[in-house]
Amino acid sequence: MPTFSSLNTAYSGLSAQRRVLDITAHNVANAATPGYHRQRADLISLGKQPVSGVFTGTSQTYGVDIAGISRSYDGMLAARAMREGATKSATDLTNTTMSTIEGIFPEPTDLGLAHQLDTYWASWTDVANDPGSAAARTQLLENAKTLTDSLHRTAADLQGVKDAAVTRMGVLATEVNDLSRQIADLNRSINATPEGNLDMLDQRDQLMARMSQLTGATSTEQANGEIDVYIAGRNIVSGTITQDVDGTTGTLTWVNGGQPVNPTSGEAAALTATITDIVPRYTTLLDGIASSLVTTVNAAHTVGYDQSGTTGRNFFDPANLTAATISLSADVAGLPANVAAGAPVLPGPTAPGALDGEQARLIARLADSATGPDTKYQQLITGLAVETKSAKNRAEIQDQVAVNAGRDADSVGAVSIDEEMTNLIAAQRGFEANARVLTAVDEMIGYLIERTGLAGR
Amino acid sequence: MRVTSSMMVNSTLRDLSLNLSRLQETQTKMSTGKELTRASVNPGATAAAMGMRQDLRRTDQRMRSLDDANGWLSTADTALTADLTTLGRAKELAVRGANTGGIADPVARQAIGAELRSVRQEMLALANTAYGDRSVFGGTATGPAYDANTGAFLGNTAAVVRDVAPSTTVTVNVTGPSAFGTTGGPAGTVFDVLDRLATAVENGDDAAIATEQTNLAAATSQLGQAATEVGTRAARLADIKERLETDKQTLTTNLSQVEDVDIVDALIRSKAQETSYQATLQVAAKVLPGSLLDYLR
Repeated sequence: MPTFSSLNTAYSGLSAQRRVLDITAHNVANAATPGYHRQRADLISLGKQPVSGVFTGTSQTYGVDIAGISRSYDGMLAARAMREGATKSATDLTNTTMSTIEGIFPEPTDLGLAHQLDTYWASWTDVANDPGSAAARTQLLENAKTLTDSLHRTAADLQGVKDAAVTRMGVLATEVNDLSRQIADLNRSINATPEGNLDMLDQRDQLMARMSQLTGATSTEQANGEIDVYIAGRNIVSGTITQDVDGTTGTLTWVNGGQPVNPTSGEAAALTATITDIVPRYTTLLDGIASSLVTTVNAAHTVGYDQSGTTGRNFFDPANLTAATISLSADVAGLPANVAAGAPVLPGPTAPGALDGEQARLIARLADSATGPDTKYQQLITGLAVETKSAKNRAEIQDQVAVNAGRDADSVGAVSIDEEMTNLIAAQRGFEANARVLTAVDEMIGYLIERTGLAGR
Repeated sequence: MRVTSSMMVNSTLRDLSLNLSRLQETQTKMSTGKELTRASVNPGATAAAMGMRQDLRRTDQRMRSLDDANGWLSTADTALTADLTTLGRAKELAVRGANTGGIADPVARQAIGAELRSVRQEMLALANTAYGDRSVFGGTATGPAYDANTGAFLGNTAAVVRDVAPSTTVTVNVTGPSAFGTTGGPAGTVFDVLDRLATAVENGDDAAIATEQTNLAAATSQLGQAATEVGTRAARLADIKERLETDKQTLTTNLSQVEDVDIVDALIRSKAQETSYQATLQVAAKVLPGSLLDYLR
């Protein structure tokens, strides 16, 4: 048995423990780094390693070696955390959007459209009660103008929500392109350095998590360590090749070919829903209210007679049927005497007396119509309230789910200071013990060298 | 399950944040006094509240219409009552005129005739009573209801209607012809009757006087009917007004119950949430800083 083989064994122990210390120090330094997975040295014992010596031929040595450094990483838990995180981004963004839209309709208060609609109908009653009064007619026109202005502002605010979402989609697309390029670069680097690339793997996972938050992207690992990233089934990163996406129009599309991406999760999905579903839906409902107002009031108004006995006048401009465009018609704007308060005398029809207010009274009664703008507005608000509340609930539930999934993943990969301290002590003691062994072997050899072969001297 | 310090930190931050947001929600409710800070807090209650607010505004509007209707009716009532009194005088004059028909006393007869004509003028003036700038008996036409000289009806017979309750309307005017008679009718308007009566008295025509006395009685009863009807409508309006006021009370109370926050409840909730927040802070302070390092040499 070689004399110095024990020295080698002790030395392998020393260097292994020192390496373990390095890794522990790395873990402790990165305890608070986001996305860091704790690293472990895999120690294997060496048994009967052939060692060649000049005078000894092949023999054996023992010891310990580091087979490799591994990352405490559970792919399944990490994938689950990423998936739930993507869904959470989507539900959070939807919740924020719904809250914003809810803020556009301040109900139940005196500031909302309901109050202004009521004031408008009430001023028709005032005209009905005193058709000869220029003050009542002027007040009616004023209130109508306030109502149309409110409708304009509400429509503009809704459009603003959509415009903000479109801008955000553009920014999102830019970030996604940037992320995919970084992932491709990391793919190349990881492939090039098979050893010591654990931190790059962590970085790539972080980028992947962010990509997933934005678009619900998923990844599959290839044999050479590169990952392919997919959004809605199509490759955005394939090894070191990337595809770009564009979001400036509000729809996320592939630059190559122009097809829509159709993300199913992540912020992009929520933005798409806002732009193509939520805002258009509420805009349509609001336009329905405006159109109902215009058509029902005009239908009654054109039949009525104004102060000069003329009939056939429109109250609202019949060509402007959306909430953004609704306006008083040129027949009555600024001309209170042209408001048709008088009802036609049947059969005939013929003009009524100059102080007849029956048509105005009938128009005021449109307030209670089951198909009129007031009812439609109440339905809009109720629908909005329910949708907002359920978006909030969904966001809260998903938040909890995502937190749990994240905690499970962290449970595997996060650094525990207590654990690292224990490992530190073990490494330190191991180092000391190996040094002792070294000293002992050294003494034994020294004894042999200095004390043997001295007989008879 | 392995628990690390970073997991505990995240968990504590989350819990603190949740506690604070709950506390903030309660604070907002207390400071605004409204339970329904946003529609999504309780969609069902929001729908109910919106309906109640709408009803309240409508009730206010109806009360205004009702007050206007009351003004009309009371003006008409006053005018008709005065008319009846005046007609009573005319009746007396007619009786005296008949008595003196046989006596050829032209001066006395002329005097009675002249008084009858002045009664006619008074009635015409009352028939042109106005509410605001509208003639009470003129329907929906502008200007006075009756020509002050000829007694011709210048208005129209359209009804002036007010909405005073859901599906309840009230006609607030009395048209001239229905109170004072029509020109084309058997006896003409009450003014025509008075005119002819005055002429008959001046001429000493007993037969004509008798005819006109009958006509006068008929006209008086027609006026009486009109006055009664106005009185009935006014009484009905008083009932409706009482109902509207009760409705308004009920609506206001109900709206408050739905919309407003129960201060006592909110205070208790806020205290509980504050305590929970304090407890979370204390636990975090005890648990977070500890680690193995405190115990190693």
